[in-house]
Amino acid sequence: MSVMTLVQAINNALDIKLADDRNVVVYGEDVGFEGGVFRVTEGLQQKYGENRVFDSPLAEAAIAGTAVGMAIAGLRPIIEMQFDGFSYPALNQIISHAARIHNRTRGRYKTPIVIRIPYGGGINALEHHSESPEAIYGHIPGLKVVIPSTPHDAKGLLIASIESDDTVIFMEPKRIYRAIKQEVSDEKFSIPIGKAKVISEGTDVTVVAFGAMIRECQKALVMAKEAGISAELIDLRTIYPIDRETIAKSIQKTGRIVIVSEAPSSFGVGAELMAIANEEAFLHLEAPPKRVSGFDTIVPLPKGEHFYLQTPEKIFYEIERTVKF
Amino acid sequence: MRFIFKFPDIGEGLDEGTIAEWYVSKGQQINSGDALVRMETDKVVTDIPSPKTGVIAAIYGKVGETIHVGSPLVEIEIEGKFGQDAIEEAKKETLEVVEEEAAGVVGTMEVAGNNAYLPSSEEGFSKNEKQSTTEIKKIIATPVARALAKELNVDINKVNGNGPGGRVTTTDVKKFLETSPQLQRAANTALFDDTELIVYEPLSAIRKTIAKNMTMSKQNAVHMSVHEEVEISELIRIREKYKVIYAEKNVKLTYLSFVLKATALALKKHRALNSQLDLENNRMIYKNYYNIGIAVDTPEGLVVPVIHDVDKLSIFEIAQKVSELSEKGRDRKLTLDDMKDGTFTITNYGALGGIFAVPVINYPQAGILGVGRILKTPVVKNDQVVVGNVLPLSLTVDHRIIDGGEVTRFLNQILRYLEEPVSLIME
Amino acid sequence: MIFDEYKPLENKLFRIIDNDGKVINPSYYPNISDDTLLKAYKSLLFARTADTMAVSFQRQGRMYTYPPNYGQEAISVAAGLLMRSDDWLVPAFREMAAWLAKGATLKEMFMYFMGYEEGNVFRNANHMLPISVPIASQLLHAVGIGYEINYNKKDEVVFAFVGDGGTSTGDFNEALNFAAVWKTPVIFIVQNNQYAISVPFKKQSAAMNIAVKSVAFGMPGVKVDGNDFFAMYAALKEAHEYAKSGKGPVLIEALTYRMGAHTTSDDPLKYRTKEEEEVWAKTDPKKRLKQYLIDHNLWKEDEDQLVLQYKKEIERQFEEAENYKPYELDDVFKFMYTDMPDDLKRQKVEYENFLAWKEARK
Repeated sequence: MSVMTLVQAINNALDIKLADDRNVVVYGEDVGFEGGVFRVTEGLQQKYGENRVFDSPLAEAAIAGTAVGMAIAGLRPIIEMQFDGFSYPALNQIISHAARIHNRTRGRYKTPIVIRIPYGGGINALEHHSESPEAIYGHIPGLKVVIPSTPHDAKGLLIASIESDDTVIFMEPKRIYRAIKQEVSDEKFSIPIGKAKVISEGTDVTVVAFGAMIRECQKALVMAKEAGISAELIDLRTIYPIDRETIAKSIQKTGRIVIVSEAPSSFGVGAELMAIANEEAFLHLEAPPKRVSGFDTIVPLPKGEHFYLQTPEKIFYEIERTVKF
Repeated sequence: MRFIFKFPDIGEGLDEGTIAEWYVSKGQQINSGDALVRMETDKVVTDIPSPKTGVIAAIYGKVGETIHVGSPLVEIEIEGKFGQDAIEEAKKETLEVVEEEAAGVVGTMEVAGNNAYLPSSEEGFSKNEKQSTTEIKKIIATPVARALAKELNVDINKVNGNGPGGRVTTTDVKKFLETSPQLQRAANTALFDDTELIVYEPLSAIRKTIAKNMTMSKQNAVHMSVHEEVEISELIRIREKYKVIYAEKNVKLTYLSFVLKATALALKKHRALNSQLDLENNRMIYKNYYNIGIAVDTPEGLVVPVIHDVDKLSIFEIAQKVSELSEKGRDRKLTLDDMKDGTFTITNYGALGGIFAVPVINYPQAGILGVGRILKTPVVKNDQVVVGNVLPLSLTVDHRIIDGGEVTRFLNQILRYLEEPVSLIME
Repeated sequence: MIFDEYKPLENKLFRIIDNDGKVINPSYYPNISDDTLLKAYKSLLFARTADTMAVSFQRQGRMYTYPPNYGQEAISVAAGLLMRSDDWLVPAFREMAAWLAKGATLKEMFMYFMGYEEGNVFRNANHMLPISVPIASQLLHAVGIGYEINYNKKDEVVFAFVGDGGTSTGDFNEALNFAAVWKTPVIFIVQNNQYAISVPFKKQSAAMNIAVKSVAFGMPGVKVDGNDFFAMYAALKEAHEYAKSGKGPVLIEALTYRMGAHTTSDDPLKYRTKEEEEVWAKTDPKKRLKQYLIDHNLWKEDEDQLVLQYKKEIERQFEEAENYKPYELDDVFKFMYTDMPDDLKRQKVEYENFLAWKEARK
């Protein structure tokens, strides 16, 4: 057992997999010698050598494309997109190839790639450093998208992602990289992809969130409790494939659902969960499903970001409105 | 003026630093931009410059000590005085800032304190990952039904769901409403046109429901009617006698009570008349209880309260029930329980007038018995023409379920009971 | 001509002064007045002072992450002197002296790094694009602008900046290719400061230098000592003439050293040594230009006094930036589209309702 932050948990997961599988390689910009701009890969090159953990030239498309090649040839590359806003040049390789090769070669070739992307806002960062593109990746058939919210989950989900034979987009909520510490086992363990987690039970409304928003929701739930509202909080953990069953059961119990995310509202995870609410719990709904997510605008720069991100107060406001519908 | 300089965030992701070296001491004059202290962090080792020009009033933290972003580093006096209050303020602000940090609003990247960490999780280790959320039974209802319930001020959780799967539909809500004590008084603003020849009035909830139910009944059940007459002079004699006795007990004795009893006993022998056709599930539903509804005329329209287990009640009890329900109906005090679970219906229009009729079935029941007004009329007895008292009966049944033979057999049974009332207690 | 003589494939480095400011290549000494030289040095001094203060402001917690220009100023100063008002400036993010020469203000720069989009607009700088964070993506824009210049037969040239890290991207290679095929008047200036955050140049490319890439794409190219003001000025002047005359694009590799960190969140000593920094400090552009001015009896001012003056001015602009009007809710929505869709209007109203509710709770 060690007390770990998300950064340390991810580092630990990479360490474990580098040790037990020779096919695992880790690369990206500044990932090798320096150990990553967030120090997530710190010490790994020193431990496993430059041919296994290394720096690549500056080109996201090439990083993704070469990973496809490596995966086809039998390696298990874990690549990093340094920031969410820089991952877009890689989209062509991800969408046109990583997501499709298993299908187009009828299973002959597979692409067991993990693409690690620090994502999300709330860190007073420059432009292009605060994006939340999970809906873009979630919409592409052939990809799995995983987002942990605690160190334990980060480690377990990352190990599961590395061991998955599909391409997994592993999005790391950078805002809470170091904000949460947790006792995490030093041993190897994995958490299944595609399973959401009921963090706390309630009866009046189901609140679904992921990543850095879980913490904000927990604070909102305290406010809700004071107002006499019993809310059930679910950590989605996997964006695709979504854990329909857990969500459905919960809405059938509470009759109400509020979905919290950072990204712009239109065409996002919130919209998807609202569809699920209708499909699975239409007759149980006592209020319209509500997505609590960003405006359909670019994330404002730090001086304006507070308008954009969901805060505990805003989340509570929407929970209350839903319960009082 | 006292300026409290807090350890600022100096890089994306780290706001915990260790003091490596102090460049200033208390009482020292310092200029804006001069280095105050050297801080060591995970990412950067750097000097922190002073934002103000003044005199160092206080220094927080010793070399080697780790401090968080937002904690005070130095106090700079721009006037040259020292104050205890400033230090108190600084301490308070530390707490506030830490709390704000915990709330995730201040600063760039938050770093958890040394003392606070989450407990470990079992997930990923135990074999059975049981994730159960405790189940709670709630009614299911369509959103439109819920909306209607809200609009009509009905608690949807009290409404019986008769739709597919047991769901509460708008029909159920409306039905509940018409039988509930708090009947909605729709805004009845009559609209007149210029000529006053045409008057528009919005439909009341009851009227809407009746209209709907009548339509549904006619559209589904195949209505077939049989008319009969029964000579009830014997019954009249009994009634005249007991009318007085019942009146002493404040109960009104009508012929309806006898008809009810006769019908219930006849239903017992002819189960098809006390059934329901369930085409959806390809089956007949036979009921072994006899709840007969009686049509009651009210100012708002027709309501059909139900007398439960008529077969088990005495004439007295039946008469009581009839009085009670009729009164309730007229006073609009009928409850949901008064209205539900009818298996057969009797409509006694005779009290108002009418000999024969073709009553409409109270769907989804199998039949309805109409009772007309008693006629003093010539009848044949022992091949002689005498004055008789004739009660006309009109029975409508659902011909999908009940064939001609069964109809007449059932009706004849009722006729026998009414012609010879003593048979009601003898069998 | 510089481009003819200093062939990239021969790995030649174009210099005019040595590390001590002595002219070692007199035949290429540019035609430049004393006043211009003094102006150049003062611009460099101002830029360096502002840069140092910016880092200090960040450390004070008054500004967010900032990328210092320290050690690379000569490149931007030279470009700044040669850019005409109608020439275009397509920046990356490490060319402060050039931005200021173009008409951008420090106040705006500070505003940007504090977190106001308004800062990145550089309203009074004619034909200047905002700072570009996604590496090298701006180069394609430079080529597009170059196309319009040709299309409308204008007399304009594009100064496009990028770093050594940027040369690995698809965008860089595509931009050079398009520029050459379309013969657009773009001067590609690659500031090779040896590092892309922690990645040294030898890990970025196996080529002998960056200038050789010009050969691959079919345009003139040259490797210049970026810390040599005179060489930069001369090379840029020739490039400007070339592009202006409609002959097409040019690639200049300005070899320099990133004396500071990648940004204020970076600690260079994690991946390079103090010794290496000290070696490169000897090529400091400020030191060399100053020495030249002194040697030629051109420097008559009190530098310390000058720096104090500059500091006051920089402080003043910083405070103005700090006092810029607060960010309003409207600012989040206003510029998303040229005509705001109804849905956005609705979202804004919904948020205002939330704010009203929040206010009422207090």
